[in-house]
Amino acid sequence: MAAAPKTNDPVDQQMPRRQFLSWFSGIALFGSAVAGVFSTFVFLKPRATYGQPNRFSIGRPDEFPPGARLAIDTKRVCIVREGNKIAAISTTCTHLGCIIAPTETGFQCPCHGSQFDVDGNVTGGPAPKPLSWFQVSLTPSGELEVDKDNEIQTGTYLSV
Amino acid sequence: MSKESNSMGKTLLDLPANVWRSIFRNSLPSSDRGRAATSFTNFFLHIQPVRVSRQALRPSYTMGLGLISFFLFVILTVTGILLMFYYVPSTTQAYDRMLDLRSAVAFGIILRNMHRWAAHAMVAVVFLHMCRVFLTGSYKPPREFNWLIGVALFLLTLLSSFTGYLLPWDQLAFWAITVGTSIAGYAPFIGKALKFMLLGDATVGQEALLRFYVLHVVVLPLVLTITVAIHFWRIRKDGGLAKPEPKLAPALPAVEVLIAEPAPVLVAASSSAAEGTAPARRFTIQGLVRGPLIQVGKLEEDTVFSWPSLLIAELFVLMLTIAGVLVVSYFFNAPLEQPVNVMHPPNPAKAPWYFLGLQEQVSYSAFWGGIGIPGIELLLLALVPYIDRGKDGVGRWFARQRVLANSVFLFFVFVNIVLIVIGTFFRGANWQFVSPF
Amino acid sequence: MRLALAVVSLVVLIGSGAVVYDQFHSRWEDNQKAYFNQALDLAKTPAERESIEARSPKIEQTIVTAFGAQRIDRCESCHIAVDDPRFDSGHQPLRTHPYSEAMGDVFNNGRWERRHKFSDFGCTSCHDGQGRGLDKADAHGEEDSWPEPLLGYTSQPDWKKETAAHLHDKAFLQANCAQCHTAKDFAGTPMVAHGHDLFFKTGCYGCHRIDGISSGTLGPDLTEVGKERKLDYLWGHIVNPREYTPTSIMPQFKLSDDDEKALVIFLKSRRGANLSESPVEAFTLKAKSVTPALPGVAELDASLTPAARGEKLIATLACLSCHKLDDHDGGISPDLSYEGLMRDQGWLMDHFKSPRSRVPDSNMPAFGLPQSDFEAITAYLLSRTTPPPAISAADTYKNLCARCHGDKGDGHGINSTYLDPAPRDLTRAEFMVSKPEARFITSIHDGVPGTSMPAWGKSLSDAQIKGVLDFVWQTYVHEARRQLKPRKVPEQNPVPFSAASAARGEAIFVARCTGCHGRKADGHGPNSMDISPRPRNLTNSAFIQNVSDHRLFESVEYGVEGTAMPSWMDYGLSQSDVGDILNYIHSLNQNGK
Repeated sequence: MAAAPKTNDPVDQQMPRRQFLSWFSGIALFGSAVAGVFSTFVFLKPRATYGQPNRFSIGRPDEFPPGARLAIDTKRVCIVREGNKIAAISTTCTHLGCIIAPTETGFQCPCHGSQFDVDGNVTGGPAPKPLSWFQVSLTPSGELEVDKDNEIQTGTYLSV
Repeated sequence: MSKESNSMGKTLLDLPANVWRSIFRNSLPSSDRGRAATSFTNFFLHIQPVRVSRQALRPSYTMGLGLISFFLFVILTVTGILLMFYYVPSTTQAYDRMLDLRSAVAFGIILRNMHRWAAHAMVAVVFLHMCRVFLTGSYKPPREFNWLIGVALFLLTLLSSFTGYLLPWDQLAFWAITVGTSIAGYAPFIGKALKFMLLGDATVGQEALLRFYVLHVVVLPLVLTITVAIHFWRIRKDGGLAKPEPKLAPALPAVEVLIAEPAPVLVAASSSAAEGTAPARRFTIQGLVRGPLIQVGKLEEDTVFSWPSLLIAELFVLMLTIAGVLVVSYFFNAPLEQPVNVMHPPNPAKAPWYFLGLQEQVSYSAFWGGIGIPGIELLLLALVPYIDRGKDGVGRWFARQRVLANSVFLFFVFVNIVLIVIGTFFRGANWQFVSPF
Repeated sequence: MRLALAVVSLVVLIGSGAVVYDQFHSRWEDNQKAYFNQALDLAKTPAERESIEARSPKIEQTIVTAFGAQRIDRCESCHIAVDDPRFDSGHQPLRTHPYSEAMGDVFNNGRWERRHKFSDFGCTSCHDGQGRGLDKADAHGEEDSWPEPLLGYTSQPDWKKETAAHLHDKAFLQANCAQCHTAKDFAGTPMVAHGHDLFFKTGCYGCHRIDGISSGTLGPDLTEVGKERKLDYLWGHIVNPREYTPTSIMPQFKLSDDDEKALVIFLKSRRGANLSESPVEAFTLKAKSVTPALPGVAELDASLTPAARGEKLIATLACLSCHKLDDHDGGISPDLSYEGLMRDQGWLMDHFKSPRSRVPDSNMPAFGLPQSDFEAITAYLLSRTTPPPAISAADTYKNLCARCHGDKGDGHGINSTYLDPAPRDLTRAEFMVSKPEARFITSIHDGVPGTSMPAWGKSLSDAQIKGVLDFVWQTYVHEARRQLKPRKVPEQNPVPFSAASAARGEAIFVARCTGCHGRKADGHGPNSMDISPRPRNLTNSAFIQNVSDHRLFESVEYGVEGTAMPSWMDYGLSQSDVGDILNYIHSLNQNGK
């Protein structure tokens, strides 16, 4: 009964107008239903959430001296500066989501012992994937902005 | 297996035929027998009778008001559930969430509008449906109890609308509910306790918001759904929509329908088992159903098959209701006034429109206007089928035999409408008379 | 039916399509796309260009939790260029928010660094408006229902046009700066400081309370008035109080537009506890009663004589924002220039401590000032003993009487709105001709206790008084004096005073008199607002105790011509009834005999 079937009903076959109207109504109903279901899903997917924003400013480049490796736990990101290149590495363990801490050799996860090197590649433990690198950009007003919705390839730095 | 050839599987998707057939056990009907069988072969369609009287289908008879009420309820349920994904019943968050629905949520504004306008429409249409049923004398036996169920549904509709009115938590909501619950507080003996239980506190606040929310989204819809189900059941059992005494067709032989079972059945040692075919069981449909419509041997002439006539009519009413609500919601925004300010009642503070007649009455006497007179009116309404016991004039508009009943009813309707109009347009600050022009 | 179904299905289809289309074409998306295009043109490197191309319109919001209740500001969804310095000459909404050193912004290494970052403050903390809104009308608060429209920018439809014209000015934002920057001398909020000074200089502090600043009780508490009221109400209510509150006794001060603006900004900055106060500080302020710290009082030289000090105090304490003294005239309250000839020490001191103890329905607030200030001012006022110049009767009337009784003699002088009882309408001939001349002479010479009519006996000679009375008769009364028939009214109340008599009198009073005089006999009965002159306040002890029984009897039995007081002997009250009523009235005025 969903789409408009060809009908064997002899009554209908004798009345092409009726058949056309049924067919037409069916299409219109189906179209409206599709629009309705589509709209419902768009409605249910939030466009604005009330938690932490995923794109945020971390300060000016000069706040991060060369060689800095600063973990910002509230944002779950570690800002790394080598020379004049800046990157933001995720500090969410790729295993099951704990916050990892920077160490002498890279990063270490307290939950199940995953170990990562300074670039976030897995060197031990159950983590399946390397740590994400997030896009860092320079805003027109001169601040560094990290966008956690935008992952970039490991090893891609922003030059400041 | 049905003896008819099944052509659907071949013309639609390339699904294997048995997958399709396992979902839809029967093909679309192409004969009278098939059309009759739809009432037994489909879950949703079994609520419909096999045949329905032509008069019931005529728009000028019922104007589809009952169906419109039901479909509005469906729209309200769907939009209501969707709105629940974003609304929070907290005095600090509710208004902000309404603002978000209006701006940040995709389709938020149209959904909220649809919910609001459908709610107002449902109160009005349920009322009109009640008028239609009364004025066509459709509460007469055997339909008296269904009328009572209908009155209960009317009250449930009003309560649903009233509880929902508070949820935006703006000035309009807060003070309307303050006025409404205060009227309830005037009921004798139970009034104060009732008000306190409704509000959960001495005044309207977080407790009231929570209680009204629970009532509005869980309790009342549940009770409404069950009551609506009973209402539909009784319609079928009482023989469909009321109509004048039927013209009887010449007696026809009882219709037999063969319902064969595809699976193997208990086999008794009999000749059919030996032949290797499953035995068939015979039923005579009209022997199973009792009621005025189904009269053994006396099938009425003026009926048509429910499939497809009734279904098309119902679809039409559904689409009409959706179209109406959609168009109104597209062009008109539901109101959202200032956030609640408990220090500043608006002047005047008016209840929702369907209670404005009550508020007007209450301005003369709190008890009689708010509880006494409405109580008496409700009692009369409920008892009408038991008071008015004449059997004439059923199924026709403004039947002559029912002039008295209809006049009394219309008088009350008129008075109530006038009171609502006065309360809406002719009352201003401090509830003094003002000119709306 | 199938046709109907087809038609209605089509309508639903079209409707659904329209709804879906609308949803994906909002104004804020268009603004963002315009920004991306312009940013693309301005891009200098391919990497930059790439990152802009990768962007698609998204709701930009800031959640502010550090300053008061949580705010969600979505202004940047349209104003997306607000932190992009390249757009400072852009077309709104794509324009950079101005930088300025006054706002704490620093110019460093060739670019501005913003002190009030959007991620910390949001937008509505400073600008008001509706942060959650995503279209202009919603976000700017253009509808009447939004309590905080964009400050100094948006007017709402129900604002009066003349008022709204004054309210479009960036200066109003200073009211919000003061939420954190509360120091009076903060450089960024000069209008708030000016308004604060005016709050004292115009006398507002006497009637209104603001926590931590003043303790007046006659008018509403203004501690949170900036939160409760919008700009149009604040402005309009000062300009014409009775347009917004018909029964208000607030004087109509005449301020210049600049002063008015400063006062409005100051009041708008009063939002209750502000963000720089700790909860404990705010609580302490609320509990305390404040002796107002008026600007300039502390600097007064201790070596001055009391009278000299009093003279300076009058100027500092804003007395002349209502009263008149020589050439300074507030236009609202009586002329104090001859006060030494009209009042004595006891009256003045009592009146200062509680004006209503001497004039029961006075609208002068009881200023909470130290005793020494009152003594100094009293000393000064008592030194004002130069009588008014001896000029023509007409001029005398104009200088001394018209202030209350009006240039037309109709009781509508500039003070009259604020006086209770109202000044006598001298054009009401039926009243004027029904009383003997001697009574008027006495009223002028000795004043009328319990009212604002002072004793002119020391300021004007008998001849002058007679001259003024004749002038009034000629100019305003327009009817010759009549020969008054003697009335049979006892000189003393024949009914001796007793509790039983007072109780009887009360019963009659409740049955007959309360409609006008009120249940409490204070002149505020249900009918009182509809008659002119208003019914007498019978608990005005100073007045009642000065009036003879003879006169009271006459008023009750024969009524008072030219007023709504009927002659009760025509309505069945006997003389003993009236005697009981008088005893009841006297029983109400026993205190302070």
